[in-house]
Amino acid sequence: MEVDESNITFLPIQPLPTVQVPATDYDDHRDAHTPLCIDNGSTHLRFGFCTSDTPRTGINMVAKYKERKTNKPLLLFGEGIDVEGGARSQAKTPWEGDVLLNFDALENALDYAFIHLGIDTPAVDHPILMTERLASPLHSRALTSELMFEQYSVPSLAFCVDSVMSFYHNNLPSPPVPFRDDGLVVSFNTASTSVIPILDGKGIMSHAKRINWGASQATDYLLKLIQLKYPTFPSRVTPTQCNWMLQNFCEFSPDYPALLRKLKDPLNLRASERIIQFPYQVPVTEEKTEEELARIAERKKEQGRKLQELAAKSRMEKLVQKETDLAHLLSVRERKEEESKREWADTLREEGFANDAALEAAIKKLEADLKKARKKEADGEDAENEEPPSFPLVDVPDEDLDEEGLKEKKKQKLMKAGYEARERAKREKEREREERAAEEKREEEERDRDLSGWATKMRREQETLMNRIKERNRRRAALTDRKSAASQARMKSIANLAADDRVPKKRRKAGGEDMFGADDADWAIYRKINTAAASSDEEEDFAALAAVEQKLLAHDPTFTEEHTHAALSSQRSALMSAFRPAYDEGDPQGKARIHLNIERWRACEAWFSPSMAGIDSAGLGEVLQNVLARFSDADKGRLVNNVFLTGAPSQLPGLRDRLHATLRPILPPEMPLEIVRAADPVLDAWRGMADFAKTDEFKKVGVTRAEYEEWGGERVKRWWGGNWNASVPLKED
Amino acid sequence: MPPKGAGKRKNTTVYSDDSPTPPVPTLAEQLSYLQYPRPFKNPNYTKNTNRRTKNLKAVLTQEREREKNERERRRQEKEENMDVDGEQPAEDPLEDDLPTYASIEAPPSVLPQRRYCDITGLEGPYTDPATGLRYHDKSIYELIRGLSATAAKEYLSARGVNPIVK
Repeated sequence: MEVDESNITFLPIQPLPTVQVPATDYDDHRDAHTPLCIDNGSTHLRFGFCTSDTPRTGINMVAKYKERKTNKPLLLFGEGIDVEGGARSQAKTPWEGDVLLNFDALENALDYAFIHLGIDTPAVDHPILMTERLASPLHSRALTSELMFEQYSVPSLAFCVDSVMSFYHNNLPSPPVPFRDDGLVVSFNTASTSVIPILDGKGIMSHAKRINWGASQATDYLLKLIQLKYPTFPSRVTPTQCNWMLQNFCEFSPDYPALLRKLKDPLNLRASERIIQFPYQVPVTEEKTEEELARIAERKKEQGRKLQELAAKSRMEKLVQKETDLAHLLSVRERKEEESKREWADTLREEGFANDAALEAAIKKLEADLKKARKKEADGEDAENEEPPSFPLVDVPDEDLDEEGLKEKKKQKLMKAGYEARERAKREKEREREERAAEEKREEEERDRDLSGWATKMRREQETLMNRIKERNRRRAALTDRKSAASQARMKSIANLAADDRVPKKRRKAGGEDMFGADDADWAIYRKINTAAASSDEEEDFAALAAVEQKLLAHDPTFTEEHTHAALSSQRSALMSAFRPAYDEGDPQGKARIHLNIERWRACEAWFSPSMAGIDSAGLGEVLQNVLARFSDADKGRLVNNVFLTGAPSQLPGLRDRLHATLRPILPPEMPLEIVRAADPVLDAWRGMADFAKTDEFKKVGVTRAEYEEWGGERVKRWWGGNWNASVPLKED
Repeated sequence: MPPKGAGKRKNTTVYSDDSPTPPVPTLAEQLSYLQYPRPFKNPNYTKNTNRRTKNLKAVLTQEREREKNERERRRQEKEENMDVDGEQPAEDPLEDDLPTYASIEAPPSVLPQRRYCDITGLEGPYTDPATGLRYHDKSIYELIRGLSATAAKEYLSARGVNPIVK
């Protein structure tokens, strides 16, 4: 598997978080009522006084847990969670997808923010400007207000929509002029994407739309695609790593169908890939020197010899033991003549025999054993050149024999039969061998005469065998499906066999007989209905196939390894091997690589058609069209003249071109279309908040403590950058 | 971005044990902010645990319910107004319907959906009747035939299809 080494990217190593210490310069803001801006995003929390240039930022996540070693309770925020494995599992985020839900986590996160701003007064005595989700559920707003006013005792609280503030920052009016810009804000958030039209510097929230698809869903989708592509990947691919891949390798395609048509070509597919190398371990192979190998072989031999010696010795001992036993038993039997009946019975009992017969049996057995053992010992020398045994008694008529002779004759007869059978088998084998040799010779002659004809014949044979194997596989596959024709036919056969009346009743009455079995082929039905039976046939076929292929490989120069059945059946199409290049079994480095190709665009395409990832929602293009359709042509022109992209995922390459390709065809040709991205899609929302918090207008939009006590936590004032749900119109004065 | 005062390392870590040489705190201990004082918090505030432990489903249901009630109320109000003097209050038509979390959600797509190969992501003009997987060409079909039922299901679930077992 050759790959372009320069195309391989290694997983980045996460740097350790630095210890952030609380600010010490709170004196500047003490009693100054400097507005405090908090961009409470579902991935990052950004906070700071509106006088700072940049906010402090951290991943919006807290983990409260007990250190295992010291048993000390710890509370970590943001990146700090990653330093402790135990903390990771305890991590909580204030957000559940797109909804602010976990207020314990929010409280901990806000504690962190206020601590790190250095606030040391008995209350957070600053007007707060905080972001909330577009048309945030009132439950979230109510509990956030409650937390702010009752836990932190803030003097006033205003909510804004982050993307509108980013728009504000990028279209900042010069101070005396009020903010009156128009634009269509497309906000890319972690768990959703929203479109907000803005006319005269005022967000038209009633016409805004939200798509439940964001960076987190795209990450999950990419992860799923990778897991499907590499089901046996050696290491676990985490969502964090996947997010990194999304950010670094994925992009929007201006014309996705055209891109797919281009990538259809395996060469283009290979050219478009990016390879990610995961950590892997090279297996340690022990290198042994010649000397060591020799020593090991020697040792093994030595051990074998020792074992053989031991076995021989024990065999010898057993033999001797048996011989003495036999001698003893024989002496016992001799005593029978000398002893009286009773004495003899006692002797027998002493020796452990029930009666004479048992004794005889034991002696016989010992004799037979000894004979066998002696024969075995002698076998080494003269196993082969054994003279054909003679059976002299067989041909002697019965009349000439006494009882003993008859017995012996019977025995010899049996032995003769056995001997002859063996001889026959031997001859048969001999003949077969000769036949085979002749066959080979004939074949060789044929080959010498006409190689191509022979090769064609052989190849045809190979093909027949392969087809048979294929057919069998197909049948097996068909049988796994209950509804397939093969299954149904089998069921029918079983039912027929089980039924008694295979012969129709009429014919049976007329003396018809069950003829099953008259033809040997009838029995094949039992093989046919037995799903597990085919194996012996299969083995035969495979053996035959192997033999044919061996011959072809040996003699036909045009037949190579890749024509064998094994190679053909494991062959992958050029497309598949470009889509997921295969590495050898013993290549741990290659096995730990992820090749991203179509996924690089597929993950982003879902923004424009979430249905491909199973989200039943209109995509960004369709939503934009719907939103624009609700405005008059004049307003539409004002909106599309400033399509504004913000949020971290808007940094993915190709988005602007894609949006242009989507919007241009649905607009009148003379309507100017301008698509701009926020200067800093990540931080501009907070900067816009800071800008706005410095204006006089900010003082009017916040809900004061008194108003909170009167209205409760859900109601807000309606202003250009805030949500409309549960809002009261701003008093004009 | 370096936060304010990042340069000055303040040793504010409080050690709970009285050993003469305090152990070197781990990075996690240094990062923990549990020991910092929180004077700005109202000690008399008792958090409403019941309200805090609502799950997502409950919150969204409540939101929808509230929206329904609100619409009903507005409709009635409108009718009453018309009954009284038959005169429409001059209201900005844009601000007439107030958006809610549910109402701004994008509707299902009405455009014809493109079909993509479930395995590769290329155009997928064919569908395997046995598994329901879409595929690009013959070679992918051969791969699909070799897939186990669970693997086929996994591929389908990436597209959000959860097949019913026949």
